Amino acid sequence: MNREEIYGKLKELMVDKLGVDEDKIKENSHIIDDLGADSLDVVEFAMGIEDEFNVPKIPQDDIEQLTTVNSILDYIEDKTK
Amino acid sequence: MNFKLPKLKIGGIEVKVPLIQGGMSVGISLSRLASAVANEGCIGVIGAAGIGMLEPDFSTNFKEANKRALRKEIRKARENTDGIIGVNIMVGLSDFCDLVMVAFEEGADLIFLGAGLPLELPISLPAEKLKEVLSKIIPIVSSARAAKIIFQYWARHYNQIPQGVVVEGPLAGGHLGFKKEQINDPDYALEKLVPEVVSILKPFEQQYNQSIPVIAAGGIYSGTDIYKFIKLGAHGVQIATRFVTTYECDASEIFKEAYINCKKKDIIIIDSPLGLPGRAIRNKFLNDVIEGIKKPFSCPWKCLKPCDFRKVPYCIALALTNAKIGNLKDGFVFVGANAYLSDKITSVKELIDNLIKEYKRAECTKTI
Repeated sequence: MNREEIYGKLKELMVDKLGVDEDKIKENSHIIDDLGADSLDVVEFAMGIEDEFNVPKIPQDDIEQLTTVNSILDYIEDKTK
Repeated sequence: MNFKLPKLKIGGIEVKVPLIQGGMSVGISLSRLASAVANEGCIGVIGAAGIGMLEPDFSTNFKEANKRALRKEIRKARENTDGIIGVNIMVGLSDFCDLVMVAFEEGADLIFLGAGLPLELPISLPAEKLKEVLSKIIPIVSSARAAKIIFQYWARHYNQIPQGVVVEGPLAGGHLGFKKEQINDPDYALEKLVPEVVSILKPFEQQYNQSIPVIAAGGIYSGTDIYKFIKLGAHGVQIATRFVTTYECDASEIFKEAYINCKKKDIIIIDSPLGLPGRAIRNKFLNDVIEGIKKPFSCPWKCLKPCDFRKVPYCIALALTNAKIGNLKDGFVFVGANAYLSDKITSVKELIDNLIKEYKRAECTKTI
């Protein structure tokens, strides 16, 4: 999957798990500050990423770092190489 | 008629009285209180946060001081009781995992983890040992959603679930897992949370074919309260504030007197440097902080992960340590919402006997 495809799929997941409008999602969006997620959303979302992109367990420390769309894209890109 | 308290079975342990003494950190519940509670057939809990603050090498060797002090307290508790001893550890502590491992190695019966999500232990352990450590952990949550997410996370990553859960409502003392505006909102009351948590955990109970005791906590004061929450589906309760005004509580007399002397209007919600609201007794120290006066301190190491020690107006670990030893000029006291009801110091035995009596009376009058 290239970054573009990952981004497309990620947007769907964000709409589904975080209940945000797709057009509000930008690559530099902060999922807590800009998209209104809370710390529980972030964990639920991380579990969604594991399922959707078939990535191995995302450690809690990493979950806490995955706060912008960009950082999530980097992370998935790295783990699905 | 002889009414009996329901027994609590948690983590494979049978508890005679379904009562857990809430862990009160920074030196309030240590071995003395925890062992006295355990001797009455309840679960006594040592609070681990800031436990090394009074060790002589605390400022230079914080991590070791905490580990040593916790080890010492668990061993002392064991010398004084054959009962059930737990340890309460904040997930937000920088050395939370070290303290979990000390509690485990010292044979704590249960490890209560709150003030953060207990999802994983940042340590690599052989699978069997990890399973064993996890089997001691009881998460403390403040919503059904948090309970569900923790259980989901454990189920998918460890193929095991916690052996129980403490639900701490907005009337608890110290740090609260709620936003300020939720604290007085009836939608977030413990009476609502308990049945929600019980019901959200049902599918996990079925899937794993194990019962998950739900412990109600936060503002529970009397035996009548205990009865109410058992009727709402809780399998036990956690009480902390009541145990402060006992002879055996490890805090100074001045700390205990602050509970006895406080009025309802003195109990306020503060913004803790941890980034959570907290319930405390208003005093000059807190008034100063509210007015924007800073209390200078040096931070030998960042004990709380979320603490921005360069910006916070005071060091909470230091303020609470001062309170523990009775220096309220340089500290303040955390309390549960009903602390103003305390009017005297009693023994742990007397307190627990009274709670049981009140429980039985409540059951008797409700069932006749």
